[in-house]
Amino acid sequence: MKRHSSRGLMQRGLRLAGALAVAVIACAPYAFAGAQCKVPDELMRVDETLPHLSERLRAGGPVKIVAIGGASTTGAAAGAADLAYPHRLQETLRLWYPSVPITVVNKGVPRQTAQQMLERFPSDVIAEDPVLVIWEAGTTDAVRGVEVEELAAALQSGIDALKTRSIDIMLIDMQFSRSTVTVIDFDRYLNALHRVGDVNDVYVFPRFEMMRYWSEKNVFNFDSISKDERAALAASVYECIGKKLAETIRVAIQ
Amino acid sequence: MPPQPRDLRLDFFRGLALIFIFIDHIPENILSYFTLQAVQFYDAAEVFIFISGYTAALAYGRTLVMRGASYATAQTLRRAWQLYVAHIFLFMIFIAEVSYVVTTFKNPMYNEEMRVADFLDEPHIAIVKALTLQFQPTFLDILPLYILLLVIFPIILIGLRLRPVIVLSASLLLYVVVQLGNISVPAYPEGHVWYFNPFAWQLLFTTGAALGLGTRARRLGPRGVLMFVAVGIAGAGLVVKLSWTVHGIWDPIPGFFLRELWPVNKSNLSPIRLVPFFAAVVLVAALMSPNAGFLRALAANPVILCGQQSLEVFCLGILLSALGHFVLTEFRSSIGIQLAINAVGIFALCVTAKIIDWYKAMGRVPPTVPVPGPARK
Repeated sequence: MKRHSSRGLMQRGLRLAGALAVAVIACAPYAFAGAQCKVPDELMRVDETLPHLSERLRAGGPVKIVAIGGASTTGAAAGAADLAYPHRLQETLRLWYPSVPITVVNKGVPRQTAQQMLERFPSDVIAEDPVLVIWEAGTTDAVRGVEVEELAAALQSGIDALKTRSIDIMLIDMQFSRSTVTVIDFDRYLNALHRVGDVNDVYVFPRFEMMRYWSEKNVFNFDSISKDERAALAASVYECIGKKLAETIRVAIQ
Repeated sequence: MPPQPRDLRLDFFRGLALIFIFIDHIPENILSYFTLQAVQFYDAAEVFIFISGYTAALAYGRTLVMRGASYATAQTLRRAWQLYVAHIFLFMIFIAEVSYVVTTFKNPMYNEEMRVADFLDEPHIAIVKALTLQFQPTFLDILPLYILLLVIFPIILIGLRLRPVIVLSASLLLYVVVQLGNISVPAYPEGHVWYFNPFAWQLLFTTGAALGLGTRARRLGPRGVLMFVAVGIAGAGLVVKLSWTVHGIWDPIPGFFLRELWPVNKSNLSPIRLVPFFAAVVLVAALMSPNAGFLRALAANPVILCGQQSLEVFCLGILLSALGHFVLTEFRSSIGIQLAINAVGIFALCVTAKIIDWYKAMGRVPPTVPVPGPARK
């Protein structure tokens, strides 16, 4: 598999990696995230609302958000929970709503199917009494080849459980990486996830398409950097995800 | 039993199904909006299994009558063996691809999740499970069904000749039990089941075989009523599924009954898939003659050839769709490139079918060594 055959691509990648390394070393975490994270407007479209979160924010809180998901929720690739997207989301929201106490609880457990996460709902989600749940699901289901109907059914049960308790919910779809999509068929699972969101009026954060966009624009390129720099690069991807997530939440509560 | 003229409808629709399988197996392929699954609840898999049952009954049914049960059984098992070897071959290629990609992986954001590719952790178990057909990676799941169905086919075939009503009732009963009780065949890794549940999908194969044998079917009612019902079901299926497809592309168009009916279970061959498929079978059987003009058209010929060389075309199609997917992920998947990949793939399938057809035909005719005697044509 000739991923590195294009010399131009590699050079651009190396230049970018150099620039990234400088940026990471030289600047505070915040300075870096802005321009890099840019995605096309259509990926930032939000039609759904988060009524309970919106109400809670207006009332001055407190706001508790639970992020349940897999390894990319724990932030494994970056090396620390502080670098994972839930923490970045919390930072951004606190910046925007300084008067409201906001906490984002990270309930990521690697390598679980949606069904296994659903089984954690009573202890990890409901018990936390959140006003919003962010559910990052589908990756393990796709990697393991779980039936699409099973994924859909698990998501549906989770959504129903939260809706009856007046908890807002949004879903996050899979991560994109060129090498993974060649061996894992994400397409069907992505469709299922988005369709579940569609029939339930639940917003699905299009992480896959965003990361694909960054990959195509060579914003983040894991192929042409050294092993030591990969964790830092993963951290900046998580940071972008956290920021974009905050932006979509801001749209959804307006 | 005199050899009947070949029913080209079977070859044509099986060929079309194989081409659709190739197209549908390339993720995010624009052309998949124009295959069967975009407009009907069933897809090419139903067509493939049904016609495979039908043609198996035609071929081995004749052997059964002319040369006895033992030889017919041996022939069926020989075909199952061929399929098995083809399946293992495809599996090897799949494993080669996945192990390569996973072990040369550089993106840490997937390290954790990719570790669930169990077979790299325990290849000694995974390979044995592949040999016993319990390990079925995506897209390598329909051949195991076909193999299993062929292995039990001698029993079905002999049963259909002796007691067709009993065999068909048992087959239907098993299907109903699956729908109610959700029984399935365990697979690898732990907790998985066969994607195509053989207890459900055997119904398509058996009914196909029953029709292929020409077992006298019970009249379901006056022909006009049957046609009316079939048109109604097929039409309703078309409208509803098409609305889902369009809704998936453009949000403002509503998907009819989406909340109520989706997702439709494919593993267990949900009645929502099965009933419209049978409606289509009734319509095709009633409206299209085996000698329909278009089947003789030049354009239909490559499709018919694909249907006649189904095993080779199926295997090649699976490989080509993996290759096509790879090309699409490496390069920007513009519509132009997508169409080009589809065109090249379909062309390769048809050319391969043609070559195999030629090769087999050459094997059948006696060598053209000049022989003394009356002049030959």
